[in-house]
Amino acid sequence: MGGVEDDEPASKRMKLACRELKGNPNDSLLSEPSFGSSRDLMARLLQSEEDEVIGSKGVIKKVEFVQIIAKALYSLGYKKSGAHLEEESGIPLHSSAVNMFMHQILDGNWGESVATLHSIGLKDESTVKSASFLILEQKFFELLDGGKVMDALKTLRTEIAHLCASSNQLRELSSNLSSNQVNLRAKSRPKLLQELQELLPPTIMVPERRLEQLVEQALTLQRDACVFHNSLDREISLYTDHQCGRDQIPSRTLQILEAHSDEVWFLNFSHNGKYLASSSNDQSAIIWEVGTNGEVSLKHKLSGHHKPVSSVSWSSDDGKLLTCGVEESVRCWDVSSGECLHVYEKSGPGLVSCGWSPDGKSIFSGVNDRSICMWDLDGKEVENWKGQRTLRISDLEITRDGKQIMSIFKETAILLFDREAKSERVIEEDQTITSFSLSRDNRYLLVNLVGPEIHLWNIDGDINLVAKYKGHKRTRFVIKSCFGGSEQAFVASGSEDSQVYIWHRGSEELIGKLSGHSGSVNCVSWNPVNPHMLASASDDGTIRIWGLNSHLQQHKKLQQVHSNGGSMAAAYNGRT
Amino acid sequence: MGRLFVVNLEGKIYSCKHCRTHLALCEDIVSKVSFHSRHGKAYLFSKVVNVTMGEKEERMMMTGRHTVVDIFCVGCGSIVGWKYETAHEKSQKYKEGKSVLERFKVSGPDGSSYWANHEVSQLIAGSDADDV
Repeated sequence: MGGVEDDEPASKRMKLACRELKGNPNDSLLSEPSFGSSRDLMARLLQSEEDEVIGSKGVIKKVEFVQIIAKALYSLGYKKSGAHLEEESGIPLHSSAVNMFMHQILDGNWGESVATLHSIGLKDESTVKSASFLILEQKFFELLDGGKVMDALKTLRTEIAHLCASSNQLRELSSNLSSNQVNLRAKSRPKLLQELQELLPPTIMVPERRLEQLVEQALTLQRDACVFHNSLDREISLYTDHQCGRDQIPSRTLQILEAHSDEVWFLNFSHNGKYLASSSNDQSAIIWEVGTNGEVSLKHKLSGHHKPVSSVSWSSDDGKLLTCGVEESVRCWDVSSGECLHVYEKSGPGLVSCGWSPDGKSIFSGVNDRSICMWDLDGKEVENWKGQRTLRISDLEITRDGKQIMSIFKETAILLFDREAKSERVIEEDQTITSFSLSRDNRYLLVNLVGPEIHLWNIDGDINLVAKYKGHKRTRFVIKSCFGGSEQAFVASGSEDSQVYIWHRGSEELIGKLSGHSGSVNCVSWNPVNPHMLASASDDGTIRIWGLNSHLQQHKKLQQVHSNGGSMAAAYNGRT
Repeated sequence: MGRLFVVNLEGKIYSCKHCRTHLALCEDIVSKVSFHSRHGKAYLFSKVVNVTMGEKEERMMMTGRHTVVDIFCVGCGSIVGWKYETAHEKSQKYKEGKSVLERFKVSGPDGSSYWANHEVSQLIAGSDADDV
């Protein structure tokens, strides 16, 4: 290939090759795109264009830019436009050698294509070898499919054998000679070309969909930088940089739920986002239903505990609910009927937390004697982990695979123990831990500290501290926080100043403070299925459902929901 | 009030006289003899739990100028003592970060209470007089 030196970079070699006045006799027969008269346009490629850059930062090489646009035009099906661009710009998409190679592949000129392959200017011998193998393998299969077994055998012996990576590979290929397969073995030629394209370096053959890839990269960066991003639809426009306004974060009270007669301490949406369960100092728990239009209504009031109910736990299928009375018992309820299915208790010590096993066949509970126990649905104690496993005030979390159990076991530490592997891991904090929650993907733990401060820990693989969130208020109570929003991009927390705090998870930036409650906000829960719905539980005895500002305009603010026949106790002010 | 968060101590515990919330352990006492408040004896502890803090104040005590915060029981809100934030005299620096619980405000490990000695309180000038 006259005039081209091997130690020059491949891209330069390719451009030099472009300038060769090599014509192709099969020009007019070409079905595959890329050139009409590359002879002419190659001649037009000027020396100065090689190094020309465009764009405000001067980092985009013009030749590469035009080539990926041409490639995009071809993959969109605009062959004429692609060819026209090559001609008008004088920048051919591929060197003549590559063009020839591509046609030879599509025409099935195997021997010639392998020869061209060697002259394209590949530095890496192994690439040449792999590509040659692919081509000859195609030849082999096409011969077989055509019934030409002897020719196929000859090809295998003389041309392919020395290219095989292993004797197994050779054996596998030869096994095709004897089998009587009816289906065609050879892939389509365009498919072969695609595979070859992926094998060859991008400077030789511009990769497919490179322009789309670059655009997607830019969009992903924009989206990640968008602190308020909280949409379900991926409607990002190319016209302007993506930047959501604050209007994507729940910020307006859509509903006030007033069925509890005392402070509401805990609440949590079901996995399917169709229900919300809340628990209160009034010794009851309530199951609420989220209507199709987003309206929340009371479904069942669960009474029976004789102590305040500190937490609830949804079974994986959302068919059952566990409630925990403080240092008392755990009750299991049927969600659709509201019936109490079972009461779990120990004679002596009281129960302090509850959690479902993912298979719904057992329940776990922390005990105020520091142990954790496990029951089957009938109430038979199946297992008991003694020793210091939990504290009297602690959350209990179980991973989706049912293996890890987590609880606060020391003032400043959380224990994560694998009940199968019988191994333990510990998260050590620098201050007293008040509560924690597990992310739905089980990879992160959100830990609330006395500070007040919220720490985000990664527990997938190596345990490490990822982020810290500050700004909210806490001096006396258990205040809980949660993940939420689209892609779990936000962290929300209650606060003793009666507001709901929302941070952007990645940047740790405080992006929202929602006012409305008249008492400490003890717990928040973000609907896992609706990134625009957030619920908060407060000492003022109410639950607020928060949504987007636009939703408030759409449907009028709903009437406050009253309990069935119960008297409304005066709202508590948390700051007694 | 919301769901109260309290740390539960193990051992010989001093707790709030009114609501029994745990406040400190016997083993964390630094000094029993040198502190007095207007209600009588007070002990210096290296660690106190379940308290909230008031505003920082500059107080002139017998041993010199100190920046202190009053501490309140999280359970019932009653004042139980004070915490030394900064001591302006070098010899008093050892108190920084430590807290004083007034004996009158707490129940001792054996459940005992302390009744204020009014004669003693009249002898001590000013409020929350410090050690002599």
